[in-house]
Amino acid sequence: MGVVRAHSRVRSSGRGTGVLPLLPFFIFTGYFLIWPVIAVTLRSFHGNKNEWTLANYRPILHKGPYFHAFVVSLKLSIVTSIIGSILGAFFAYVIVKYARGKFGAVIDSISAVFANSGGVPLAFMFIAAFGVEGIVTKLLKDLGWDLYAGHFTIFSFTGVVLVYSFFQVPLMVLVFKPAIAGLRREWFDASINLGASPLTYWRRVGIPILVPSFVGAFFLLFAGGFSAYATARALTVGTVPLVPIIIGTLVDGNVISDQTNLGDALAVGMIVVATVAMAGYIWAGRRAARWRNS
Amino acid sequence: MQTLCGSVRSPNPKGGYMRKRLLTGVIVATMAAASMVATSASHAATIDYSKCQDLKSCGGMDALVKAAQKEGKLNVITLPRDWANYGEAMDLFQKAFGIKITDDNPDGSSAYEIQTVKTAPASKVPDAVDVGITYGAENANLFAPYKVVNWNDITPTYKDPAGRWYGDYAGVIALSYDTSIAKAPKSFNDLKDPAFKNMVAIGGDPSGAQEALMSVFAANLSNGGTTANVQKGIDYFSEMKKSGNFVTALANGQNFLAGAYKVSFSWSFNGPGAVATAAKAGKTIKYVIPSDAVIKGTPYIMAIPFNAPHPAAARLWTEFLYSENKGKGSMEIGSTKGMTGSKIFAAINGGQNIWIAGGALPIEYDAMVAKKTNATAPAGYEIPVGAKIVTPTPADQDAAKALLKAQWPAIAGN
Repeated sequence: MGVVRAHSRVRSSGRGTGVLPLLPFFIFTGYFLIWPVIAVTLRSFHGNKNEWTLANYRPILHKGPYFHAFVVSLKLSIVTSIIGSILGAFFAYVIVKYARGKFGAVIDSISAVFANSGGVPLAFMFIAAFGVEGIVTKLLKDLGWDLYAGHFTIFSFTGVVLVYSFFQVPLMVLVFKPAIAGLRREWFDASINLGASPLTYWRRVGIPILVPSFVGAFFLLFAGGFSAYATARALTVGTVPLVPIIIGTLVDGNVISDQTNLGDALAVGMIVVATVAMAGYIWAGRRAARWRNS
Repeated sequence: MQTLCGSVRSPNPKGGYMRKRLLTGVIVATMAAASMVATSASHAATIDYSKCQDLKSCGGMDALVKAAQKEGKLNVITLPRDWANYGEAMDLFQKAFGIKITDDNPDGSSAYEIQTVKTAPASKVPDAVDVGITYGAENANLFAPYKVVNWNDITPTYKDPAGRWYGDYAGVIALSYDTSIAKAPKSFNDLKDPAFKNMVAIGGDPSGAQEALMSVFAANLSNGGTTANVQKGIDYFSEMKKSGNFVTALANGQNFLAGAYKVSFSWSFNGPGAVATAAKAGKTIKYVIPSDAVIKGTPYIMAIPFNAPHPAAARLWTEFLYSENKGKGSMEIGSTKGMTGSKIFAAINGGQNIWIAGGALPIEYDAMVAKKTNATAPAGYEIPVGAKIVTPTPADQDAAKALLKAQWPAIAGN
């Protein structure tokens, strides 16, 4: 008994000092992440009279505007992640290959700035550039291409995809570049020495090594696109119904006062999707790490 | 008291007593409360301003002003200065009575106001709220009953018989446009002209934003629809989208400045503020009430939370906003030092006329017109002669929202 207790005391005190510096972090995440998640989940199972109910989930699981919002949100985040991850991976490769030293560092900084742009300022930027009176629009018109001759508008699904790509592509560059840079020269040389063609090297070695990192980055882009809110809100008027925008009108509006619990249920739906994406990200990250550690 | 939770000396039953102790605590607390009631009853002169329900039981205007000045502060919430002329109302109130107003989160939402009433620390609770009408009945138990002097002039449809909430003002849907465009629109029908290609925008998702919803009602009315069915309004926007006139950009000030649209539909009471804001950015905009549809929204409502930290100032603010006086504005009013409360109150503009000057239709408008106490609306905000003013009922609005939820997203036709 005594031995066990002594043992556990040593262990727990050791753990205690290890945890103490992390305390502010735990308080922070507890207050801003864990507590809200619990509160939102609990409220999503309550009705307006504070009774327990599953009714808030019904509109999400049956065809209708709320179900449709999830479809549009998923479609938007998948499309922009595909565009972002493919273009971004290509750019990352080119940058690793050709931009070294200081130039590479400059590109890193630029990517970081663009990857973190978003919200209303980003929407403003695009309207100022590609709107009817935008600078780019005018420039193209002078060159003989009238963007607005047909049905083009940035205030649409296509427009939002265009705007989202603006932060998705550089984000991909940022997170995928280390994976490409991690491909060792020796692997390539060894393959060639063993008689492989460069194509075979990519097919059998390069791409298989990069796939987990690529998939992980894709999940990250997906989660970012899925949760983005302000940009799409500033660009549309319910014509691209995304889940976070609908949650906004339900819980922070001026008109609908009795459906905040439905907003909470939609939020739980988003949490579930984001959790799946994050699980995919972590799983892919572990697979990718195998190569780095060997 | 709640912050003292856990303090051993707190008689608060929530203070973590063991069960036996709790009982004693309750008895002591009850006795204390009972003796307090007895004291206030014996001193008839001291008025509990958190309980008085009209000006008379608040001791009359002189006493109310004195008590409000003693409190010295008023917490308001979510009142943009350029919304319905609230800037002028707040300036005048502060200057005339020397009471400092704190406006929390001017650009917040009704939902935020209610949330704040429920959760803010005692001293930060708003003394009055101005929220969408659905938030009144829904949260009536949060508000203290109070009936202003002009209570009978408030349209009965829009007030709680018990006096816990009351309509304050409404707007009509106006066309707002950049005066630099070739043609000045006067009606919804005008906007179908190819001259307006890529120019017309709406202020939000009509199934969730009131201004946008009422814009659809107005378009519907202009095309021969009735308030019971907004199909013709949806068709109007759908056709406008096909012709390229309707851009599905969010009509907010910022997108306007970025050049995303030139014409939109707005509450009349946002007009004067929007015109001033645009002027600062070097743009000239104009508001006009459309000749083919005058839609008046359901009014916003006002209420005093029962836990208002400055109960006398809250009641004075409410009396001020519901006053029909025609008097001095914040620029004309000089020093009011030494004047009695009722004298100050009689000398200044009442809130109802301040709202009219801001392009709004105050809740006592009809009564004021009958009594000829109404100020004249600013130029451009007059209702076109002979126009019928229509207000969709809550049931109409619910039906419209359901129809829009199903049909509106398809309009974009990406």
